[in-house]
Amino acid sequence: MTFADAAERHLDDVYGYLSWLTSDRGAAEELTAETFERALRLWHRFDPGRGSARTWLCQVARTVALDHFRSEKRRLRREQLAADPDRFEQRFAEGLSPDLEAALRALTAGEREVIALRVLLDLDAQTAARMLGISTTNCTTRLNRALKKLEEALHVAA
Amino acid sequence: MSQRDVVAELRAVRVEAPPELRARVRLIAAAAEPPRRRITLRRALVVAVPLAAALAAGIVALTRPSHEQTGKQFAAHGSAAVGTELAPAAAPQRKAVVVPTPAGRATIYDETLSLQLRDARAVSDGVKRALAIAASLSGYATSVHASSGGGQATADLVLKVPRTNVVEALSRLSQLGTIVAEQADVTDAQAGLNATDRTIARLQRQLKKLRAQEPAPAKQIVQLERRIVALQRSEAATRLRAHYATISLRLSTKPPAVGVHHGHGPLHGVVVALTWLGIGALYALAVGGPVTLLLGLVWFAARAVLRRREEALLSRP
Repeated sequence: MTFADAAERHLDDVYGYLSWLTSDRGAAEELTAETFERALRLWHRFDPGRGSARTWLCQVARTVALDHFRSEKRRLRREQLAADPDRFEQRFAEGLSPDLEAALRALTAGEREVIALRVLLDLDAQTAARMLGISTTNCTTRLNRALKKLEEALHVAA
Repeated sequence: MSQRDVVAELRAVRVEAPPELRARVRLIAAAAEPPRRRITLRRALVVAVPLAAALAAGIVALTRPSHEQTGKQFAAHGSAAVGTELAPAAAPQRKAVVVPTPAGRATIYDETLSLQLRDARAVSDGVKRALAIAASLSGYATSVHASSGGGQATADLVLKVPRTNVVEALSRLSQLGTIVAEQADVTDAQAGLNATDRTIARLQRQLKKLRAQEPAPAKQIVQLERRIVALQRSEAATRLRAHYATISLRLSTKPPAVGVHHGHGPLHGVVVALTWLGIGALYALAVGGPVTLLLGLVWFAARAVLRRREEALLSRP
């Protein structure tokens, strides 16, 4: 598999993962482009025997996203965006009910991340846990807790 | 809405990258893809480790003298020794160790010297020369034992040489052959002699007092006299022993070559190389183990800190 093939095939997955992780589609676009730039440089390190290209790209995306979170400048931007009411008009994805969208926004980035990996990208618990650097049990617990929060938020909204 | 419904709704969501982003990523992907590295660390190690082992085995095999070479060396020594009756072996000649003894103090000096000579005849001649050396230095032999058989010969001599001549004696004796082993033992006897002197003086005073008594206790006087005489004899023996150095000299021929090379098969070089590799690995383990452990702990701590920071970053909405 060439890098171009991998990029074409998994662009939506990487973008979706970053959208959910950052809850900011503008930032996700920037980070997706940055992810593929970095991935191109590191492509020689990718070993198909150790995991799929999608998982590897998501790992690169995660590193890029964490760098983004660490950046003070970007953090300030995030805070400004958080204070901007128009931001909430920007949707996570098409097809989500407003209540679920609001409940998702109330979750932490870590909780949204585990939902993105396990539900959106449909990764198995072991792969997701390895990506997050936690145990499989911890990953499952984190997912259940996040889903429980969503469920409760939707109950309150109803 | 149950958790199952939530998951179903989330799964139904389709996230698609906007066309601009897709175009941008295609542009990135269209850039020249860097070539994959052909030589990885793992591949390099797979080649380097056996290569290093083979190289080490080769070096050991090449530097090890073969049986034929050993035979030739013996032959060379034999022919070179024709001119001189007792030519030393080809190995660099070294002198016997002489331990300095303090002047004016009685010391007991014992030296053991093992010399290797080329053949039985040289051993026999060596015995004669050793006796002559001892005699020329006012010494003598207390025992001589020689044996020979199957082209091998051994002679054990115990020589007594005045301590003042021991340096000269050892120097000349070490010229008889190649030194293969030596040992020097020096014991200070002066303190013991001084103590004996004091004891004798004390006993003599006691004896004088006993003789002055009326009537003199004959039995006690005899006992004391005997004791004094015994001490004086013991002191004289020690002084005599301290006057002469004892040199235990062993002259022997070289052990048969077959015995030396027994068991050295064609893979001996490999075995030696592997032994050295093992020793090296053991040292590396002993030195590198604690360092690796420390580095591991540092890495573990750094990882934990990093993980905690990540958690903090992702704990915000």
